[in-house]
Amino acid sequence: MCEKMKQKIGRTFFYIVVITVTFLALVPFLWSILLSFKTNSEIVNSPMSFPSVLSLDNYKRALETLNLSKMYVNTLILVITSTFFSVVFTFMSSYAITRMTYRRKRFPNALYLFLLLGLAVPVYILLFPIYRIDSKLGILGSYTGLILPYIAVNISFNTLLFVGFLRNFPAELEEAAIIDGCNLFQVCTKIVMPVMKPTFITVILFNAIYIFNEYPFASTFITDTSRSTLSMMANMFKGQYSMDYAGIIAASIMIIIPELIFYSFFQRYIISGMTEGAIKG
Amino acid sequence: MNLLSTKRAKFICLSPTLVLYLVFMVLPILIAIYYSFTNYSGLGKAEFIGFQNYSRMFSDKLFLVSLKNTIIILFCSVFGLLILSFLVALMLNKVFIGNVLSKAVIFSPYVIAPIIIGVIWGYILNPGYGLLNSFFRGIGLESLAIEWIGGKTYTPFAVAIVFAWQLLGFHSTIFLSGLKAIPADIYQAAAIDGASGLQKTLFITIPMLKEVIIINVVLIITGVFKIYELIYQLTGGGPSHLSEVLVSYMYFTVFTSRRYGYGMSIAVVVLICSVIASFAYIRISSKKGNQ
Repeated sequence: MCEKMKQKIGRTFFYIVVITVTFLALVPFLWSILLSFKTNSEIVNSPMSFPSVLSLDNYKRALETLNLSKMYVNTLILVITSTFFSVVFTFMSSYAITRMTYRRKRFPNALYLFLLLGLAVPVYILLFPIYRIDSKLGILGSYTGLILPYIAVNISFNTLLFVGFLRNFPAELEEAAIIDGCNLFQVCTKIVMPVMKPTFITVILFNAIYIFNEYPFASTFITDTSRSTLSMMANMFKGQYSMDYAGIIAASIMIIIPELIFYSFFQRYIISGMTEGAIKG
Repeated sequence: MNLLSTKRAKFICLSPTLVLYLVFMVLPILIAIYYSFTNYSGLGKAEFIGFQNYSRMFSDKLFLVSLKNTIIILFCSVFGLLILSFLVALMLNKVFIGNVLSKAVIFSPYVIAPIIIGVIWGYILNPGYGLLNSFFRGIGLESLAIEWIGGKTYTPFAVAIVFAWQLLGFHSTIFLSGLKAIPADIYQAAAIDGASGLQKTLFITIPMLKEVIIINVVLIITGVFKIYELIYQLTGGGPSHLSEVLVSYMYFTVFTSRRYGYGMSIAVVVLICSVIASFAYIRISSKKGNQ
């Protein structure tokens, strides 16, 4: 009986810990939602109180100040194009690294390690050099000027995952298909891609989330406000609207909520993919 | 796979990745290294000045401040975040109702843009009307209601807290997959030998997780060198650059005060630190890939 009591207390204590930790992770979100319904003077003068009236004024004002739908479209253009090309390109090169034969036997592995080096590079140090390269190429401030570096920055991570998978996956099936008369494109799309679906999902999600959230490149290179991305929202409130705390937080909520909904749908893939990507390589 | 390995196929498959990687990853690093040896300021020609930029760093007070702040965040994160995420992983490794939900919630900040996280936490850390200080004042702990951001001292610690909140789920999931890989019979054998729960954690779990711990430490270190948006949004580096970190100070020297040469020498220092830290990580993962 005593042992049982002890277990019960231990169990209750454990649940208290779980609930506390989970709640603490949620607090910043809950706090932002609460703030987004308060007026500016309520936020500053009575921080801990609930909003006196529940109105959507802040959201309306945020939508009037910012062209959020345009920013969503811009961001999605960047996300879709960059992710598509970085996944296709790096899959092609990873396939060539793992499956094709070369006169120099050590070439594929040397190339693989060379492509992994990018993992160690903090992208911020590339900002100014790429700024120069973009302006030399005449693409500074355009979407192309962002998409190309976005693809380049994702190459290392994608290569790590694609090559990691392909090396552990026997090539026999593909060889048989080639003998049956399939060409390279058919082998990749009909045989390799279906088995690699989970790896593809991981890579796509990882690339898409990175580009969706990307701030330093976008804010440094894009000067034309009609091309602004969502992550640049906070900047646009600076200046004449910098005192509109409630408006900024409402705009933030409108960016976070769709992202969290997306996350809740793909949560299983995102969590396992991102962490396994980090461990397994 | 000889049949596929025509010159043309290899060229088509490899060239897009290689060209982009060379132009937007390798070339920029070379450009950064080149400018770090010049006094380029945007006008006229870049003049070669040898190692002057590098030696200047050690007498540049702002550089030393940003180095100090980076190291503070690094230490807080390597110890605080690492231990916390290990504990959370132990918690999530148990079977309980709501396990999946709890994990999903703890992981969720990881997918939010750091710049938006900066916005949100600005409303929590603000010394005047922020949640944290309002809470401390509310429960009568006036002394804890300090200048978390905007003051001279505490910003790097506050940034470490935000950083930990954002990455807790990520690092504990890495620990979790390490925990799941430990065979259960080891614990059973230890239990038969009379080992307590704490003993099992100290003498089985932690040694078995050695590789996962290294991966987490390296990811935390390289992660700290990626902190920029939080500083930018929380304090903008202020007051008078006292809360700057290496990356944000580099951004300031390059894009605000337009000392490109000097800024690039800071960039090279950041790169070297990050490469050294990542070396262990790449070795582990490439070893695994070869298996």
